[in-house]
Amino acid sequence: MSALQTYISKITKVSKSIIVGMGMTWRYLVSPKEIVTIQYGSKKYAPQQNYIPARHRGVHYLETEKCIQCNICANACPVDCIEMEGTRDGDLDGGWQGDKVQISRFVIDLNKCIFCNLCCEPCPKECIHMGQEFDLAAYTRSNGVKNLLTDRPWTPADADAEAARRDDMKRMAEEKKAAKAAAAAAKKAAAAKKAAAEPKADDKGAAPEKAAPEPKAVDPDADAGQTTDEDKKDDES
Amino acid sequence: MPYTIVNHALEYFGLEQGGIWSFIGAVSVWALPITGFVSLVGLVSIWLERKISAHIQCRVGPMEVGPHGLLQTLADGIKLLGKEDLVPKNADRPLFALAPMLVFASTFVSFACLPFSEHAIIADLNIGIFFIAAVGSLEVIGVVMAGWASNNKWSLFGAIRAATQVVSYEIPLSLTLLAGILCAGSMSLIDVTQAQGGWIWSWFIFRNPFMWIMFLIYFISSLAECQRAPFDLPEAESELVSGFHTEYSGMRFAIFFLAEYGKMYIVTALGVVLFFGGWYTGIKPIDEIGGIAGNLIGAGVMVTKSFLLVCVQMWIRWTLPRIRLDQMMALCLKFLLPISLGGLMLVAIWQGLMPDFKLFGIAMIAAMVFAFMQMRRIYRNVTNASKTRIVLPTMKV
Repeated sequence: MSALQTYISKITKVSKSIIVGMGMTWRYLVSPKEIVTIQYGSKKYAPQQNYIPARHRGVHYLETEKCIQCNICANACPVDCIEMEGTRDGDLDGGWQGDKVQISRFVIDLNKCIFCNLCCEPCPKECIHMGQEFDLAAYTRSNGVKNLLTDRPWTPADADAEAARRDDMKRMAEEKKAAKAAAAAAKKAAAAKKAAAEPKADDKGAAPEKAAPEPKAVDPDADAGQTTDEDKKDDES
Repeated sequence: MPYTIVNHALEYFGLEQGGIWSFIGAVSVWALPITGFVSLVGLVSIWLERKISAHIQCRVGPMEVGPHGLLQTLADGIKLLGKEDLVPKNADRPLFALAPMLVFASTFVSFACLPFSEHAIIADLNIGIFFIAAVGSLEVIGVVMAGWASNNKWSLFGAIRAATQVVSYEIPLSLTLLAGILCAGSMSLIDVTQAQGGWIWSWFIFRNPFMWIMFLIYFISSLAECQRAPFDLPEAESELVSGFHTEYSGMRFAIFFLAEYGKMYIVTALGVVLFFGGWYTGIKPIDEIGGIAGNLIGAGVMVTKSFLLVCVQMWIRWTLPRIRLDQMMALCLKFLLPISLGGLMLVAIWQGLMPDFKLFGIAMIAAMVFAFMQMRRIYRNVTNASKTRIVLPTMKV
């Protein structure tokens, strides 16, 4: 009888779990809570930029007024996709003028570019940035070569995006700092408490009636200390 | 033998029936529309599959080509047509070329005795159900051939799994088919359907309580027959790349794909004929219209019912995970086989004692209507899980 019972209970268990799963998918099929897809190029939703994270690395843009044509970005580039030409203290018609510097050509070959951000990091004037633009489809290879002086000039929208991005980064850095400080403080406190608790425990080791509640009081702090350690590891990695 | 359209045409032209003209007429008249219908079924089911999977996963699916992506499958088909026909260097060339044809042929031939309505049937064989079961299981030869000829161990694994699965699930499938044959007293698909004419409670599914179990077993084994999830072990993407058709590309792959979706339609249409009254709507006055209008309504009803079941297959595919090989065999041999044997016996006893007992069907439909009205509460009682709703991680806006 018990064999039959297990047989039947197996069947009911399986059918129950199938019904639960099918009900779940049915509810999502007829009334999904939200649609996560954003149609490509959709005008219906807010501007595409808002959907792109602040640290997204898209097509570069250049603050031409700031650039001093130092070639550091081109040197830093691991795939050699940046090319620039121009003169310092010279006179060049039709160029873009920065600090007595005139740039006549600033080209990024996006066919080669790996969007690694290594050109933006060493820039002494902080004038080249990774932008939000991600739509790189082109009919020919030559269309993939962007002249940053003309094809993608600096706009007020870019300035806003850049400011927002910097704010975001600053906020993130502050949060990280605060978290780190909190973790350090918590660790210190835990260590202090542990140090305080240990001698007590040693003292009361002789009296077993009161020793029981002591570890309970210490445990949460010890746990907190462990978790902050893990957090710190995450931050470092 | 009921008149088919070919026979009508032959009669019209004054040609003898059953001779060489019958053969030529049947091939020339019917091969093209069946090909068209199989392709259409493939197009619609692939689109449905993508849409259903998308909506279950909170996506929207194909949206760009045509309204709501309706023509996406057509675009994909054109892309596959234009692709290079690659054959691996060490493949067994003739077998490699033959395999997709064989798989498609088994699907294609099954359409020959699948009824759409009373007169819209190509060949009303008196062993129609047996024919479909026999020809349908020929598919496994093509699958094994594809796996062997690819000269790829993963493909061969997939083919062996397919052989194991299809051959073992053939048994419960045939036993459940026998239940329908028992109720009708005939193997002809037309006769089986006509035995279910009249009001809705004369459908075989409402004939006795065991037919529901038989239908469930039929549905499970038919999923295994056409290698759909959760029985998609032969083409398990995460284990075997895509099983027996890993090495196939371009149009040969498209033919495999088309055969799979055609097979899904055949299996569900057979289920509809055996359990859900075929082309009958279940409302007597509509079913008695007859003529061209009646046949058209019947064909529409038949295709609609089949596609509803196809949708259930897809719903299952996007809900349940793939089962293991040993679980698959255990399900077949320990559960489906004994239960279907017992069910067949009980159906036979019921059929012998009270073949025309309609009251049960009426009571069952009343119970179903009541259950449908109380669906939400019953579901809550069964699961106690209606309040646990998965919260998805939202995108930053």
